[in-house]
Amino acid sequence: MEPVQTRNVVSQLRRGTVEYCVLALLRDGERYGFELVRELAKADGLVTSEGTIYPLLTRLRKDELVTTFWQESEAGPPRRYYRLTDAGRGALADFTGEWGRFRDSVDAILMKGRK
Amino acid sequence: MQTDRLIDDYLRRLEAAAAHLQRSRREELVAEIREHIEAALREEDAANEVAVRNILERLGPPEEIVDATEPAPMEISRDPGRLETAALVALVVPFVGWIVGVALVLLSQVWSRRDKFLGIALALLPAALPFIFIAVGSNSGPETSLPVPGGKASGSGPEGMSSGDGGVGVLEVLGIVLLFLAGAPSAVFLGWRLRRSD
Repeated sequence: MEPVQTRNVVSQLRRGTVEYCVLALLRDGERYGFELVRELAKADGLVTSEGTIYPLLTRLRKDELVTTFWQESEAGPPRRYYRLTDAGRGALADFTGEWGRFRDSVDAILMKGRK
Repeated sequence: MQTDRLIDDYLRRLEAAAAHLQRSRREELVAEIREHIEAALREEDAANEVAVRNILERLGPPEEIVDATEPAPMEISRDPGRLETAALVALVVPFVGWIVGVALVLLSQVWSRRDKFLGIALALLPAALPFIFIAVGSNSGPETSLPVPGGKASGSGPEGMSSGDGGVGVLEVLGIVLLFLAGAPSAVFLGWRLRRSD
């Protein structure tokens, strides 16, 4: 069992970063919400459970980084799709740059003493 | 059917956990999770109990989903300050103090939304109780009334049910005492939550 402190930091990191992973998954076009959730949940250690992604999608919609729309499906009821907005695309680009710098700096310092 | 009951139980737990959210937000969340379950079931060959249990397991505990609707918790980074102290002091003062206290609690960024909700509920309930006591007290029969010196022609015979206007009810006294203490449970609870988040 990892210490409580570590778990806290990891969950804080998740909260901050998972939403940009959602935006990144939408970069190449709209996605069905259910598939989006399944794909995120597949990534190791990214989310604690599939259910916690839905509140996050709502937040992104409120912040107008994504929009949703309904589309008919061949089988079953209409499906809710998510699409990136221009603001979302901008936020994703900003974060991608910042994240690269952040990750490189943390890695460099974390690994320094180990060589 | 067993599988329907599993799903209903899960959605009911979710609704209960989301009780403190705005109604529109809560209904939206439950609808989204229901859609997810239905979509996941369509992917399965059979809607048997194992399939349903696995789907719910992957969704995670409803409480965890609701926790994710809150913005990042503030209690870790914020220190209780003057605003919180003022809120606790105000809550103990009856009437005007409660209103000021509740307003300050709502303004604070230290308490979580759940703490605020519980804290305000703890202030409202005891504040309502004395009024009920007083209402009941003023309608009750003479057996709960304290005799008031000088309250003479009140008909103390066996048929003295004449609206008890000759005495101050025990319940009324108790009600007034309670009224002045009504903010205390809320202040104690919110104060305790402050210390825990240090």
